[in-house]
Amino acid sequence: MSGTEKVIEIEELTKSYGKHRGVTDLSLSVEQGEIFGFLGPNGAGKSTTIRAMLGLIGFDRGSIRLFGQDICRRREEILARVGYMPSEAMFYPGMKVKEVIRLAARVRGMDCDEEAAMLCERLQVDTEKKIRELSLGNRKKVSIVCAMQHRPGLFVFDEPTSGLDPLMQTEFFRLIREYVDQGATCMLSTHVLPEVKRYCDRVAIMKEGRLQGVESVEELTRARAKRIKWIRDGVEEEFLYEKDLNELYRELMGHDIRELLIEEPSLEEVFIRYYRT
Amino acid sequence: MRYIYGHEMRQYWKTLLLWAVCVGGMGMGCILLYSGMQEEMEGMADSFAAMGTFSAAFGMDRLSIATLKGFYATEVGTIHELGGAMFAAVISMTMLSKEEDGHTSEYLFSLPISRGKVVFTKWCVICTDLLLFHLLCTAFYGLGFVLLGEGIPGKELLLYHAMQLLLGLEMAGICFAASAFFRQNRLGAGLGMVLLFYAYDLMSRVSPEMEKCRFLSPFSYANASDILSTGEIAAGSVLLGAAVLLLALATARVKYVRKDLF
Repeated sequence: MSGTEKVIEIEELTKSYGKHRGVTDLSLSVEQGEIFGFLGPNGAGKSTTIRAMLGLIGFDRGSIRLFGQDICRRREEILARVGYMPSEAMFYPGMKVKEVIRLAARVRGMDCDEEAAMLCERLQVDTEKKIRELSLGNRKKVSIVCAMQHRPGLFVFDEPTSGLDPLMQTEFFRLIREYVDQGATCMLSTHVLPEVKRYCDRVAIMKEGRLQGVESVEELTRARAKRIKWIRDGVEEEFLYEKDLNELYRELMGHDIRELLIEEPSLEEVFIRYYRT
Repeated sequence: MRYIYGHEMRQYWKTLLLWAVCVGGMGMGCILLYSGMQEEMEGMADSFAAMGTFSAAFGMDRLSIATLKGFYATEVGTIHELGGAMFAAVISMTMLSKEEDGHTSEYLFSLPISRGKVVFTKWCVICTDLLLFHLLCTAFYGLGFVLLGEGIPGKELLLYHAMQLLLGLEMAGICFAASAFFRQNRLGAGLGMVLLFYAYDLMSRVSPEMEKCRFLSPFSYANASDILSTGEIAAGSVLLGAAVLLLALATARVKYVRKDLF
């Protein structure tokens, strides 16, 4: 697959849960080699989209293609090439960590012992422990190993870093970067904006089941608004400004400006503004 | 599929062992008690056989409780019928729903295996467990006969345990189908269903009005007294049981394959 081929293609995806909205008319695509952020508050439809993408739930309308194949028709073939980490990292409590990891590999028909050992070492996973003895963070690490050990072409992570300590978060993103550098693609659903800003190439923003936009992180933080800080007529003020900057300059004429700072807004501010509009 | 099969077998082996030892052990204990109770039973056999519908309900009008065969049918048979059907309900009622109840379905179904294959594999596990359960119990009873120094009534006993296996499969099939609809484990519902069918079978043996509808309970074709006294089975009820089983399995598959992850 060449660098511009689409790994994920979603067209007009619509999924409802009875009277409740899930996702409406969602269309997006992710290209090979991208780290794609999927942002939105709880209930925005991120997990619904991901689950539909992996064939875990059906959908009412639209189409989903991964690696150019229809998920409804080639689910098993597609999932063999996907590493998925759900937001809830739950396993069979009576099993040992190594058994859970090995089961995931064997069902894929693969011997991933070497890769799994490397991942367990880097993420500091104790494979002899039983699942019931693990904290949320350690269960998340097991989930990461299960998603990565078969070196898939596409990673799908649903809120991966909640529960992980900062050191492990860094190691996790380092691993993603390494796999992506080797040709993999990554889709990352998260609430944590600095993660998106630091690691993602593009980001999709969801609100109430609808896609608000897909932009590069750079564009998202640059184009929308400016953060203005000034001391005007002795009064210090700070605000986001979205109009034409010439208008702002005209407004300042005749005032005593002691200090003026125009800067890019943070991703948090951009994110919050998306949900206010 | 074989790894999911192995995984599920490991999940249930303790339950299998526990139930087989308990039910088989109790049955063997009953057989061993027979020699000590034989003389008392001889005195009571006529009284037990003359208790009208009560005698009929427990098969004591057809087999003398004073004989080992009669004692086996009334005592061990009751334990085995109820124990076997309960074991079938215990393993099958949770087999599908446990994935959602334990929130493990996302782990399982994100692996490259279809829901249809998961249903098939899990049903294979139930069949294996039921077969092992009945083999272990039969081995316990056989040991009881040997320790007692009595011959084993081979053909009738084989037929009876074959029907018991079918009873277990039918109960398991019904509970398995129910399990496909649930998002939480409903073990109580499964055990309740077993007791309901058992009570219905007993009532249909006591009440002449209900006799014609006895076939509705899976226990109707697996009764120890009926089989051990005649050496025959009610073919119509067996066919109905097999049909119910197939219908239950088809329901479980259709429902589970279309089910969204919760």
